[in-house]
Amino acid sequence: MDFSLFAELAINGALSGLMYSLVALGIVLIYKSSSVPNLAQGAMTMLGAYVVLAIANGIGLPMWTAIPLAMGTMFFVGMGIERVALRRLAGRPIIMILMMTLGLDIFIRATTMAIWGGSSRPMSIGISDEPLFLGPLLLNRSYVVGAVVAAALFAIFFFFFRTRRGIVLRAISDDYIASWSIGISVERGVAFSWAMSSVLATTAGVLWGSVQGVNQGLALLLLKGLTVAVLGGLDSIGGAILAGLLLGLLEGVASGYLDPLVGGGSRDLVVAATLILTILIRPHGLFGRHDIERI
Amino acid sequence: MLFRQSGIFHTSYADARALFPLPADRWMIGLLLAFAITAPLTMSSLVLSTHLLPWLVWTAAVLGLNLILGWAGQFHFGYAAIMGIGAYTAVHGARNGIPWEIAVVLGGVMAAVIGIVFAFAALRVKGLYLALSTLALQFVMDWVISHVPAISGGSQATLQAPAMRLLGQAVTSETGLYYVALGWCLLVTVFMLNLRRSALGRALVAVREKDFAAAVIGVHSLYYKLVAFATSSFIGGVSGAILIFTFYRAATPEQFAVNVSIELLAMVIVGGLGSIIGSYFGAAFILLMPGLMNSLIGWLAQLAGASLGVETLAHIPHAVYGALIIVFLLVEPMGLGKMYTNLRNYLLVWPFGYARK
Amino acid sequence: MHATDNLTSTPTLMHNPAASPAPVLSLNNVEVIYDHVSLAIKGVSIDVPQGGMVALLGANGAGKSTTLKSISGLLRPERGLVTRGEVRFMGHNIDALAPQERVKLGIVHVLEGRRVFEHMTPDENLIAASAVRGSRQDMLRNKDMVYTYFPRLHQRRTAQSGYLSGGEQQMLAIGRALMTQPKLLMLDEPSLGLAPFLVAEIFDIVRRINKEEGLSVLLVEQNAIAALDVVSHGYLIENGRVVMHDNAEAMKKNPDIQEFYLGGAEGHNFHDIKHYRRRKRWLT
Repeated sequence: MDFSLFAELAINGALSGLMYSLVALGIVLIYKSSSVPNLAQGAMTMLGAYVVLAIANGIGLPMWTAIPLAMGTMFFVGMGIERVALRRLAGRPIIMILMMTLGLDIFIRATTMAIWGGSSRPMSIGISDEPLFLGPLLLNRSYVVGAVVAAALFAIFFFFFRTRRGIVLRAISDDYIASWSIGISVERGVAFSWAMSSVLATTAGVLWGSVQGVNQGLALLLLKGLTVAVLGGLDSIGGAILAGLLLGLLEGVASGYLDPLVGGGSRDLVVAATLILTILIRPHGLFGRHDIERI
Repeated sequence: MLFRQSGIFHTSYADARALFPLPADRWMIGLLLAFAITAPLTMSSLVLSTHLLPWLVWTAAVLGLNLILGWAGQFHFGYAAIMGIGAYTAVHGARNGIPWEIAVVLGGVMAAVIGIVFAFAALRVKGLYLALSTLALQFVMDWVISHVPAISGGSQATLQAPAMRLLGQAVTSETGLYYVALGWCLLVTVFMLNLRRSALGRALVAVREKDFAAAVIGVHSLYYKLVAFATSSFIGGVSGAILIFTFYRAATPEQFAVNVSIELLAMVIVGGLGSIIGSYFGAAFILLMPGLMNSLIGWLAQLAGASLGVETLAHIPHAVYGALIIVFLLVEPMGLGKMYTNLRNYLLVWPFGYARK
Repeated sequence: MHATDNLTSTPTLMHNPAASPAPVLSLNNVEVIYDHVSLAIKGVSIDVPQGGMVALLGANGAGKSTTLKSISGLLRPERGLVTRGEVRFMGHNIDALAPQERVKLGIVHVLEGRRVFEHMTPDENLIAASAVRGSRQDMLRNKDMVYTYFPRLHQRRTAQSGYLSGGEQQMLAIGRALMTQPKLLMLDEPSLGLAPFLVAEIFDIVRRINKEEGLSVLLVEQNAIAALDVVSHGYLIENGRVVMHDNAEAMKKNPDIQEFYLGGAEGHNFHDIKHYRRRKRWLT
């Protein structure tokens, strides 16, 4: 057992896991406000990345302008989606809302690919390709940057939920009707959550786009993000970051050893297996509330 | 006026429980059956084998999914995997000399067995967690089927299905295949129709509504969930097998991948959860729509003088699925079946609609 | 609506002249239908005078909560609609306003069963309710006010609200409502599931708040005895209609009320109880 190989797989895995957490954070935010896991989060991630490219290449603005502009656009896209597609279904059985997010996922993915599709496009955000060396270990520089950005965003949200605004959002996720009864605008809170989720998705799209290029594969981040969210507890922000580290670690190390045995493609298997096991053994995840699975 | 309800008096319990007490309904069913049976004579071979046949088989699959989704209320996002299991088992069985009918049934049984594995997830969790775990299981199945050459013949390989032999007779003509599909679809439809008035159906509804309350009155919810999954998986497995033998003629992993599961769900949603006639409508809609939209958009593009890239055209069917799901959930969440029921309710009292308040 | 003929007491005026100037809340002939088919309340007219305390009594399912929801605007989540009549607050018709706008105007509804935010602390519960009222100073001041009225809450302010006792949760729910600086406080069955001494304590505090802050209170209760002890007058709802309106003393002494809601007049023969049949109803 080569220790340095193990350590390399583990650290790179953990770093990429933090980047998965970004996608998971978007899912958790929406779950907290709308009580449904957003199956369109992967599609939003992909859309966000393409929008950045469209602004940067299409209009010809530099990246550091294009990215905030794209985030702004996606903010309103997220709000729009909530307003048009989700608000009508408030109060309906959860399967309908879940199917709606699934429909949105299919639609957004197909439309995005129809407009901008084709081969993979590069997204360069100024991170050099040179690997970082931590002693004898080789680290992917993009992963390090991505992990730092993800950690920073988590810290921001952690503090945000202690402010008055954040407490109001937590109240909304606790009990809609009680929130209405004391004057909280549940509609605005939910719309805001969706908007923030879209911005987070865009960030994840940019980071992952710089690693693997902007293409259809970005939408597949849904499975990873969802697994992280479930593992951490669908309504726990802290859980999402820890679960991301855990899953990244697991995926990196396991696939590093399994791939040669099964001829590739074991990453997805590991993730799917983790999802199934989590749901079967501890459905509310590591830090989720127990009443999630209540009848 | 059309659906005259007056003058219908039941003199026995059997009459009262009849599936279609109204003469108008019986006439309609009769006409539809007559049309279906004489279809090979009236419709062109092309329409028969490319439209009617797949429609019937997919309807059977949708009915099976409706059993678990609409009647038992258990989420199942991995139905295509179940169909795939049935298909592959049947094909392997037939290739190894097992009589076709037995091979198909074997496919169904295998699907039921694996389906029960899904069921155990259902016993532990509910609602969206069940949805997620079935989705994950679908992914695992995808991976297993494509990475285990013994099952699929390799990830890129196509597994050829041998010719069907029903009761010793080789069935190769379009008509024959059509009748096989029709027969299976009718069988499943009759089963589903009777579900409403059977103990099994009532038990499933009880479990769907509140399974702990059902347990309190003696409906063993664990048992019935397993039964629901097993039955529905059997139907799915056989449908998958028949699909391969009558339509595709060869099995590939892509035919039963995640997007097919989603297509099935779209059929259920568009048709209406739990609605039997809705299953027919939903399957037809989803099968036809993308083709129609493609033609429509292509024609519009021609009119506008713009040319659409191959990429764009390739993604339009999916965009249409997504849009259909979204629009139906917003406009009529209970699907086409509900629209049909609305129309029927209107016609039931026509022209005295104002009396129905 | 007026009391029907078979009442033994003399009918009283629906609108107590001593209650003018304009009532802070006025329901006129309100009718509510659920799901477009279920009639919940019909022809309900209620006035709450400025600074007054009014009770809405009735058995389970009479329509009391529905009445409150038609005032606070919380009918929509339950697919209910006000189909007739109007609700006037401070003289203005509020039928078209969303729930959060009504809270801004000064109506607050303490829900049945408390419904505190279980996963947050009481302190955070109070902060959440302050969102509708601007500044941080206001929030701190209001919090102090709430903690003064409910010292027990102050002791438990960092616990998780879901773990508070029933009485403490009720206090929290009322305190949370007070944070919105309301002009009308509506309480839906505050005594539900609470021990009698707690009920007395809470009613006492509510009465103090009514006197000291001048806050009008509309109290919905099944516990008629406790309610009639604190309010000035009451309405009785049965099967969705108001069947009686009188001041509290008169209601307590009314033999029908005593028989239907207060457990019967003094000197009950237990032999009779076994053969008790409800001799009459107001509405058949």
